[in-house]
Amino acid sequence: MKKLLSLLLVAAMGLSLVGCGGSDNGSKSESKSDLEYVKEKGKLVVGVTDFAPMDYKDESGNWIGFDADMATAFAESLGVKAEFVEIDWDNKIMELDGKTIDCVWNGMTLTDEVTSSMACSDAYCNNAQVVIVPSDKADQYQTVDSIKDLTFAVEAGSAGEDQAKALELNYTPVKAQSDALMEVAAGTSDAAIIDSLMAAAMVGEGTGYDKLTYTVGLNSEEYGVGFRKDSDLVAELNKFFTDSKADGSMEKCAETYKVQAALTK
Amino acid sequence: MDLFFEQLPIVLGALNTGFLQTLKLFFVTLLGAFPLGLLIALGSMSKFKPLSYLMKFIVWIVRGTPLMIQLLIIYYFPGLVFHNPVWGGGEGGRFVAASVSFIVNYACYFSEIYRGGIQGIPVGQEEAGLVLGMTPRQIFFKVKLLQMIKKIVPAMSNEIITLVKDTSLARIIALQEIIWAGQAFMKGSQGISGAIWPLFFCAFYYLIWNGVLTVLLGKLEKKLDFFR
Repeated sequence: MKKLLSLLLVAAMGLSLVGCGGSDNGSKSESKSDLEYVKEKGKLVVGVTDFAPMDYKDESGNWIGFDADMATAFAESLGVKAEFVEIDWDNKIMELDGKTIDCVWNGMTLTDEVTSSMACSDAYCNNAQVVIVPSDKADQYQTVDSIKDLTFAVEAGSAGEDQAKALELNYTPVKAQSDALMEVAAGTSDAAIIDSLMAAAMVGEGTGYDKLTYTVGLNSEEYGVGFRKDSDLVAELNKFFTDSKADGSMEKCAETYKVQAALTK
Repeated sequence: MDLFFEQLPIVLGALNTGFLQTLKLFFVTLLGAFPLGLLIALGSMSKFKPLSYLMKFIVWIVRGTPLMIQLLIIYYFPGLVFHNPVWGGGEGGRFVAASVSFIVNYACYFSEIYRGGIQGIPVGQEEAGLVLGMTPRQIFFKVKLLQMIKKIVPAMSNEIITLVKDTSLARIIALQEIIWAGQAFMKGSQGISGAIWPLFFCAFYYLIWNGVLTVLLGKLEKKLDFFR
């Protein structure tokens, strides 16, 4: 019994060694370019998180949103299928380098950390922290100086809170950006700071907050798509972005998700 | 309150999907770890010393390091180092990688419990068997095995209940189990954000499931009482 078992285990060990050997074949793919790799696989694996209006699931569980739709169109232009995989945002670089995903396309702010560890596309969206005030008072609050005496509502831990701190504003942290809007609408705060993508989608005519508007932009950040370092997919995507800007398809897609105000020119 | 009842079906839908993943991982782990644990236990008791040392070494490594690190290494190592992402990036691949990590990890814990159960059987029984002319294999299967199973039930129950909760660690490689599903509503998902209450519901799912397991394992223990 035990001899049989030892043999079995030794065999298992041997197999696992063979397994290690097998993985060496994989390193040959290094000489292949990223574009060839994706085309050979027949799919572009897109790393996303649940982040409306850029990437989120519709009722039947399909990924939609401005980023998701653009990613699907980009994959089509390469002749492959887009596959969306929800990732842990903290592990995005590991996922990319480990080839479990092929790109990060999720309203990613191009910070130094991001640009130094990924090959990034041109910025396709501008984002900024903007000040939300009631529309009828908007004229008075077009500059940073004019807003200093207002009371603010900002999302706790957000980039908006950082701005409020930096400007030494009098603010109340609330749970979510949407709560901050509610505060202004209810008059319990004079103004709120939220990001412009959300502002474009949630305030102004035809939205739930039609009596509010946004005025001053406090900082600016840009969104881009991240690929593996030295990936030739970056050039492909930049070309795709240029083309879809030229033929208006990007604008149209952005309008579907109400982010057209944020597109880069 | 109205808002709560509006959001409840959305949250429960997401939690159910997550809990299904949790259960799947739970059952697959048990199914794999029960036999693998026995193999490791027999290996570590083997008279063939190199095998016994090897098994003890593996158990030491696996039990001595956090499962979370094992998950990260098993999932990301092949892709990062060999440029060959053997598991694939999809949900299926993540599940397989998580299952492998959990099976190996729990098999090592189980193996020690098995070993305790086997070695706890009085040596006189083995001697008696040998005197009666039984082979070591017969002694193991006909005399020791069932007694061992009976002895290890309480210790196993403990591990099994821990496993239910440990499955949540798989979220580190983005396996969308129930806590991932619940946490999504804190960050914002399907129009609900900043909500902590879905996490209480998650806890409730675990509590109910562990309650069911406690009752079932208690019954099993009673059933095996006939040895005494």
